[in-house]
Amino acid sequence: MNRHILLLLLFVACLYACTKDDFEGPALDSLFGDFSIVDSLVISTNAPDFTNDEEVTFYSKFTTVVDWKISIKGLSSNSIKELSGFSNTIDPDVVSWNGSTSQVPFFQLEDCAIELTFENYPDTLRESLTVLGTKIYDGIVVADFEDGLPEDAVFWKQAGGNMTFDTSNDDPLEGETYFKMGGKVGWDWVLGSLDIPLTNMSDVTTNPSNFYVNLGILSGINGAFADNQFINILISESNTPFDDNSSNNASDVFENDMEVYQYKIQPVDWLGWQLKTFSYDMFEEKNASNASVVYDRNPRDITAIRIQCQACPYNASSACPGNEFIDVRTDVDFVVFTENAGLLDQ
Amino acid sequence: MNRNLYTFFSFFILGVFLPELTNAQEKDKVWFDGAARSFFARDAVGETEFPDTTSSINSSSGYNLLDLNTHINPNENIEVFAQLRVRNTFGGFFGSGTSVDVRQLTAKGTINDKVRFSIGDLYLKQTRFTLFNNDEELSSQNQGMFQSYRDIIHYENFYTENRWRQQGLQTNFSFNFDRFIRTLEFDFFITRPRGSELITSSTNSSDMLLSGGSMVTQLNKRFNVQTHYVNLFEVGSSGTSNISVRNPVYQISLSHMLSLDRSKVTQTIQTGFSQRHWLYSELPNNLEDSIYHVTKGMFFEFENKYFENDSTFSFTVGYRYVDPAFRSAGAQTRRLDFGQEPLNSTYPLYTNASLPRPTSLFDIISDENIYNQDLSTTLMGFNPMYSNVLPYGDATPNRHGAYLSSNLQTSSKSLITNVKSGYFSEVIGQGTSERRTFFSLQSGLKCNVHQMAGWRKILSFSLSSDYENTQRSGDEYASLQLRSQQNNVLVNAEVTDDLFVQFGWKQFKTEGREYVSERNEFGEIVNFNLRDFDQKDHLVSTGILYQLRQNVYANLQYNWWGVATDDPTISDFNYTRLMFVLSIKL
Repeated sequence: MNRHILLLLLFVACLYACTKDDFEGPALDSLFGDFSIVDSLVISTNAPDFTNDEEVTFYSKFTTVVDWKISIKGLSSNSIKELSGFSNTIDPDVVSWNGSTSQVPFFQLEDCAIELTFENYPDTLRESLTVLGTKIYDGIVVADFEDGLPEDAVFWKQAGGNMTFDTSNDDPLEGETYFKMGGKVGWDWVLGSLDIPLTNMSDVTTNPSNFYVNLGILSGINGAFADNQFINILISESNTPFDDNSSNNASDVFENDMEVYQYKIQPVDWLGWQLKTFSYDMFEEKNASNASVVYDRNPRDITAIRIQCQACPYNASSACPGNEFIDVRTDVDFVVFTENAGLLDQ
Repeated sequence: MNRNLYTFFSFFILGVFLPELTNAQEKDKVWFDGAARSFFARDAVGETEFPDTTSSINSSSGYNLLDLNTHINPNENIEVFAQLRVRNTFGGFFGSGTSVDVRQLTAKGTINDKVRFSIGDLYLKQTRFTLFNNDEELSSQNQGMFQSYRDIIHYENFYTENRWRQQGLQTNFSFNFDRFIRTLEFDFFITRPRGSELITSSTNSSDMLLSGGSMVTQLNKRFNVQTHYVNLFEVGSSGTSNISVRNPVYQISLSHMLSLDRSKVTQTIQTGFSQRHWLYSELPNNLEDSIYHVTKGMFFEFENKYFENDSTFSFTVGYRYVDPAFRSAGAQTRRLDFGQEPLNSTYPLYTNASLPRPTSLFDIISDENIYNQDLSTTLMGFNPMYSNVLPYGDATPNRHGAYLSSNLQTSSKSLITNVKSGYFSEVIGQGTSERRTFFSLQSGLKCNVHQMAGWRKILSFSLSSDYENTQRSGDEYASLQLRSQQNNVLVNAEVTDDLFVQFGWKQFKTEGREYVSERNEFGEIVNFNLRDFDQKDHLVSTGILYQLRQNVYANLQYNWWGVATDDPTISDFNYTRLMFVLSIKL
C-alpha cells in the first residue's frame, strides 16, 4: 500500500513538473509597456503601377502592441485608403496596398501622402508616393456610361420639373461620364428609372451571398438634399423579352408575376459620391405572396437590373413639404457586379 | 427551430403510442402533476451617483403561470410526459400577454424489462470533466430567504442536479454477473443542442450534435471502474459553412471503497484527455479536408473521501491537474456569460446616458433571464470579480493544486458547519511566464437555536463567507492581486405555525487588479484588458414566508440592493424591490 501511495505522489510530482515556462497570449510588456518606435515607416516603392498588379508594402516596428492606422490620401482626387491593425510590427507580408480605395472617388494618376498614426499616442510617421498606374477592378461592368447608356438600356421619367435622366460629365465618379437621375415630382414617389438588360452572366459561379452589386450614388444640390429620396434596385431573373411591349413605360421584366428581387437604399441622405455595395442575398423577393413565382435566386440567371429614383412627393404627402423647393438627386455611376468581395474590398 | 423539434416529437410520440393511449385512458392510466407560480415585483430607483431621469422612478411586473404535467402510461413499461405551460403576464387581458407552450415532451420506457430508453427532453450529466452543468457564481452557500429567487432561476433554465437539458435519444442497460465482476452498466445518448438555422437567405449554420456514452462496472464490493466519452460536434453538411468543430473528451476512473463500522472511505483516481479542432471541408473543391486550431489536453484527479454513516462528518481531500489545453464543452460551459453585453431584466439601462447597467450581485441572485442554456464550443467570458479561481468549475483549464472540503454537524442538527478550500496554481502563465496562484475558502455555519433550546417553533441563523484571492508576482506588468469576499447573514424565525419572519444580508466586496483575457472565435487569447476593481455589492432583505408544505409556499420580501464602486466608468446605483411569489409544486 505504501508503495502505491509513493507511486501516486511521484506521479503528482511529475504533474507538478508539467508547469511550463512559456506563456499563452500576447506578452504583457508588449501590450502595456512604454511605447516607442523601433523602426520607422518603410514603403516598398514610391512609384507603384497598380495597373500591372504592383503592390506597395509597409513595414514599421514598435516596442508595444498598439492600434495603428496607415492613411493614404490622393492629393488630387482626395481619395483615401486606410489600413489598420493591432500589433507591434507592421508586417510587409501582411500589410500592403493594391491601389484600391476605402472611400470614393477612386485614386488617379497622382501624388499621395501617407501617414502612420497610433491610437492614444501623438506620434505620426509620414511618407509619400506617386501613382503611375491606377487599379483595374475585377467585375462585370453593368454601366459606366462612358459611351452613353448601355446597349438596349431604356429609361423612363415622369413629366416633372427639372427632370434630368441623362448622361453628364460635370462630376463623374469614375471615367468621364455618369447618369443623372433627379428632378421634382409632387404627385408620385417614383421619378423615373433606368433599365439595363444583362446577357453576360453565364460565367458567374458564386452563390448569392458572395455576389455583390456595387454602384456609386451622387446626392445633394447646393449642400442640401430632398427629404426621403432613395434608390430602389430591382433585379430580374425572368426570361420574358426585355422590351417587347411598346405600351409599357420601360422594360417588361420587372412585373409582379415574375422572379424579381429588390433592395432599397433609403434614404439617400449624403452629399457627394458614395459607393454602395450589397450582396445579392440581401435583396428581398418583390412579391413573396405570389405562390406562382418560383424564387430560386441564382446570380447566373440575372437578366436585367432596374435602378429607380424615388422620393417623398410633396403634394401627395404631408411628411415632406420642403421637397417643393429642392430637386431630387440620386445620380449613379460605375454599376458593377463583383464576386467574392465588394468593389472596395478587392 | 425548437418549435419544429417539439412538433416532430409530438407527432412521433403520438404516432407510436396513439393506439395505446385510447386504452390508457380507459384504464385510468393518465395522471397529472405540475407547478404553478404567481410572481410580482415592484422595482424602484434609489440613490444613484449620476442623475438618472430617463428611467422610470418605479415599475412593476409579474405573471401567473401554470405548468401542467401530463403523464400517460399506456402500459407499465412506457410513460409519455408532456408539460404544457400557460403563462399570463400581469396587465395582459383578452388573450394579450397570454402564452401557451409545450415546455417539455418526453417518452420513456423499458424494452423487455432490460433496456431503458428516453426520447425527447433529456437531462444529461456524466462527470465534472465530461458533461456537467456547474453551479453559478455566489451560490455555494445556503441561500436562506433568497432561495425563492434561486428556485425560479433553476426551474426556468432547466438546471436540475447539474444536468444539461438536451433534446434527443438516450438508452441504458445493465448486466449482473455471478463471477469476475458484479455489474456492468451502459448508457448512451445522442442529442442536438443546436439545429441548423437560417443566417441569411442563402446561408445556414450547421447542426450541432452531442453524443456520448458511459460504461460503469462494479468489479467487486470495493472497486468500481468508469469510462466516459462525450463528443460535441457540428455536421458540416447540414449547413453552408465548410468549417465545423469537433470536441471529443475521454475519461476513465477507478474508485476504491472501504466500508468500516461507522464510516466509509473512498479513493478515486481519474484521468482523461480532450481534443478540439475545426475541420475545414474542401469537398466542393475536390481537395482533402484539413484541420486547424487543434488543442489537446489532459486532466488528472486523485480524491480521498471520508464519510461517517450518520452524516455527522465528512472530509474530502484531493489533488487536481487540468491542462491549459483541456477543452470540454459539456463541462466548461458556464451558466453566466460575462462575454456578452449585460442584459439585466431590472433597469437594464441607467444614468441619463442610458448606459447598460453592469450585472451585480442582485442580478446573479434574482434574474433568470441572464442565464444560459446552450453549450458553448469555446470558453465563455467570466468576470474575475465574481469567480476567478475556478470559473469553469472543476474542469477549469490551466489549474493544478490541492483542495479539501468538510462538513460537520451535531446529531440533532443544531449546529451545521461546512468548509471548502482550494489552493491552485496556473500550469502556464498568461502574457508572462509568471504564473498566478489562487486560494479560495468557503465556510458556513448554521445554528438551529430551536433544536438547542428544545423549542417547537423554528429559529435559525446562518453565517457564511466565500473568499477568493488571486496573486501573481513579477514585474510591474505581471504582478497582480485580486481579492473578493462574499458575506452572508440569514435569520429565519417561525412566529406562528408555518409562518416565518426572515432577514437576509449579503455583501460582496472586491479589490485589486486583474487582466481579463480576450479570446477570438477559436478560443485563443488575443488580448488582455487590465481592470482595477474596487467594488461593493449589497443586498439586504426582510420578509415573511408562509410554508404550507415543502414545495408550497408564499413569500413576500422587500429588497434593498446596489453597488458602490471606485471605477470611474461605472456609476454607483441603488434600487429597491418589493417581491411576492406564490409557488406550488405538486
